[in-house]
Amino acid sequence: MTELSERRRERRARQVAPRQLAAQISYTQPRHELLDTNGIRRLHDAAMRVLREFGVDFYDEECRAIFADHGALVKGETVFLDEELVMRAVARAPRQFTQLARNPAHHVVIGADKVTFAPVYGPPFVQDLDGVRRDATLADFQNFVKLAYLSPWMHHSGGTVVEPMDEPVATRHLDMVLSHILYSDKAFMGSVTSGPNAADSVTMAEIVFGAAAIREHPALISLINVSSPRRYDDRMLAALKVYARARQGLLITPFILTGAMGPASIAGSLAQLIAEALAGIALVQLIEPGCPVIFGSFLSTMDLQSGALTMGTPEAQLGLYCAAQMARHYGLPFRSGGAFSSAKLPDAQAGYESALSMLPTLQAGTHFVLHAAGWLDNGLAAGYAKFMLDCELLGMLHTWVKGVDLSDEALAFDAMAEVPPGGHYLGTGHTMRHFRDAFYRAELFDYTSSEQWELNGAQDSYARASAKARQLLASYEPPPLDPAIAANLHAFVAERKAAIAREPRDF
Amino acid sequence: MSLKELSDDDLWLQMQDDLYDGQKDEVVEETKEALARGHTPQQVLSEGLVAGMDIVGADFRDGILFVPEVLMSANAMKAGMEILRPLLVETGAPRIGKMVIGTVKGDIHDIGKNLVAMMMEGAGFEVINLGVNNDAQKFIDAIREHQPEIIGMSALLTTTMPYMKVVIQALKDEGLRDDVYVMVGGAPVTESFGQAVGADAYARDAAVAVEMAKAYMARRRGEGVAA
Repeated sequence: MTELSERRRERRARQVAPRQLAAQISYTQPRHELLDTNGIRRLHDAAMRVLREFGVDFYDEECRAIFADHGALVKGETVFLDEELVMRAVARAPRQFTQLARNPAHHVVIGADKVTFAPVYGPPFVQDLDGVRRDATLADFQNFVKLAYLSPWMHHSGGTVVEPMDEPVATRHLDMVLSHILYSDKAFMGSVTSGPNAADSVTMAEIVFGAAAIREHPALISLINVSSPRRYDDRMLAALKVYARARQGLLITPFILTGAMGPASIAGSLAQLIAEALAGIALVQLIEPGCPVIFGSFLSTMDLQSGALTMGTPEAQLGLYCAAQMARHYGLPFRSGGAFSSAKLPDAQAGYESALSMLPTLQAGTHFVLHAAGWLDNGLAAGYAKFMLDCELLGMLHTWVKGVDLSDEALAFDAMAEVPPGGHYLGTGHTMRHFRDAFYRAELFDYTSSEQWELNGAQDSYARASAKARQLLASYEPPPLDPAIAANLHAFVAERKAAIAREPRDF
Repeated sequence: MSLKELSDDDLWLQMQDDLYDGQKDEVVEETKEALARGHTPQQVLSEGLVAGMDIVGADFRDGILFVPEVLMSANAMKAGMEILRPLLVETGAPRIGKMVIGTVKGDIHDIGKNLVAMMMEGAGFEVINLGVNNDAQKFIDAIREHQPEIIGMSALLTTTMPYMKVVIQALKDEGLRDDVYVMVGGAPVTESFGQAVGADAYARDAAVAVEMAKAYMARRRGEGVAA
């Protein structure tokens, strides 16, 4: 056997080298729009009527006082808003902003023509590498952070990628934020489980990026869910106030299962969703004008026969197109979508539902795609294999969204001139210039002959994805972190854990 | 550094590298240089060309090389073989093998068949490519003219694959069947179809076709099956 020569070694190295993070997608295709001018006006007017006539509850006295100071009518916990107040406040929100990442190459632009993919958020369970559904742990949390870090198609590290059920509730947020910083250099999200937890998240971001830097560009985006219908709870509002005052990004998302948490129609649920989102965004802008916000939409359906939550349904996609169009109408960055599914494992249902959710997500022009990978079981479980397969879909979408190159080089007349009728293009100069990256090549989908596939062990995509996750986790190496910053973070976490242990707690 | 200054070992490595990179002109020059140094054609073939194409084959299988790259390597191999082949005949070296290959009558789909032809050339086989839409007479004429050890037939259409049986029957009628090893392939073709029409071998893809052809040639030479 001859030695590996230099040229061959170079090619092997190119093949096995980890792929760099792909640049954020830029939309070039026209957005798919379902609403005409009249449709936009009808939804807007309905949302304004909801705010004016029905109002939104805010379970926080200070927030209600802020609204009242700006002329809103407050009755009990309900805030009634008129169009002028809401739209003047919403108009202060930036159309786009940049979120900082520990690695400057991984900063993300939120809004404009850019798309950001972020992992699944919130599952208390995992579907682990042995296919077992069990409580998620901090180790799982760190594993998903690592897998997101290693994926060239995942632009963001996300937030509560799983809920670490083995850590005490009171201090979990510290472990989660610390894990994002230690195991990834991509942008991440802050804790929203209480005001103090949000403050801890901000302090940790300040340790990493510097207090002045994060006021200029946010280092955190945090997920404020509306507890629909028409209700913001005290914990979310406490977190919202902390982040707004620190000028950190806020992702305001009504969570509506239509039929139960919204009317049993897409239009009605959209009107409610727009009202709820704009009320929260207005509050942020009243607290801190210009604070980065994202208009979020989580709209899915309920099976009214059984009461089950359903994902990836056609109605939810129709709602998504409209919500995105309304956010564009208001000049706000938009969040929605995800690789949604009700399936319990990465089976055919999971694939169909996730694909049927992700394509409209991009056709709609979504800017921030939370749950872009790993989602199973209506969001109750994060699947390792599902995460890998979803990342494959994200890779394909990077190409899909680009549209078609119509340059002279792409029209390839030189190649056609070389090939007679019935000939082949495999050896043309044009092919030789482009073959390596002409087409997206999936790693986890099988393209071999059926005989070859059987010889290879007849694995399905689930098995291949599990093997790939194992391989990535085994080969993972953390990105570099300044030891002084790491020491400060560890000291802060230790100090906070000691302080929290001394606090009285009712849970 | 010029070729003349290379040691023999470095010359072999250079040939292998240039084959790997599909550098046809360089491979031709190196083949001539190796012969000029007094190496036997058999030696040039095994130390340079075959050793180089073995690496290409392994890296193609491992997904490191792409089809267009293998095509370039195979073209370089073919160019080297054109110099060596008459010399190998003169020295009485065992033939690597000759194959007549074509798409059967009624079918003009030949990308897959061309990939097989290319890979066979890459392995040093001499390939007579009959192109598309070949009736039995064309195969028979080609066998008489070129005296191949192997014939390969391919089809993409389910409606044309039964014609393979017609060709094989014609070979029997002409008394040629026992002289050639009949290989069949194509997307709808299977192992059991190959047996049913009386072929000697079915290959599921181009790389397997080459392995089977090499194994057959080794058997034919009485060398036993190469692993």
